[in-house]
Amino acid sequence: MAKSLSSLLSKGPVVAKGVVDFATPRFNLFLKYARVELVPPTPADIPQIRSGIQKLLTGFRTGKWKEASVKEAWLNSLVTAEVVLWFFIGECIGKRSIVGYHV
Amino acid sequence: MADLPAPLRVSPLIRFGRWSFLAAGIAWGAIRHRSLSKKENALREIEAKQKPIRDAKLAAEKKRLAKEELDYLARQAGAPPEP
Repeated sequence: MAKSLSSLLSKGPVVAKGVVDFATPRFNLFLKYARVELVPPTPADIPQIRSGIQKLLTGFRTGKWKEASVKEAWLNSLVTAEVVLWFFIGECIGKRSIVGYHV
Repeated sequence: MADLPAPLRVSPLIRFGRWSFLAAGIAWGAIRHRSLSKKENALREIEAKQKPIRDAKLAAEKKRLAKEELDYLARQAGAPPEP
């Protein structure tokens, strides 16, 4: 057992290098997409955000949402559901547990 | 894996919504965890104080029931029950 443990420990750096070599191009690919899609909004985007919210509210008030096609409505629902999902992910992070509050 | 589409320019409103909901969720989780922990700690203290009293009551009840059972068996066997 001591021999297998020592051989495992000696393989440690090799395994680590293998993991890094495997992960680096994939991580760079992830960064390539994340830099465009996941970046938090900058203050320069505030007018766009404001106009977007206004458009949503007026659209809701005028009843335009009733005239959207089923495909559009389905896509909008998916996007809304995804945005709301982030609240629950944040809650899991804040309570430091997946399922319940461990008091 | 070679011909993935170009990155999509997500609207700032959606990005703002995602990040703000994430931050709100983290804050909400932390706040609720703190409030629930406080309540649970208070309850635990009260229970710890009550524990000796409650244990004594349960032990007395157990003793009483055991004695009743033994008395019943004694009466069944014809012998008088112990005081």
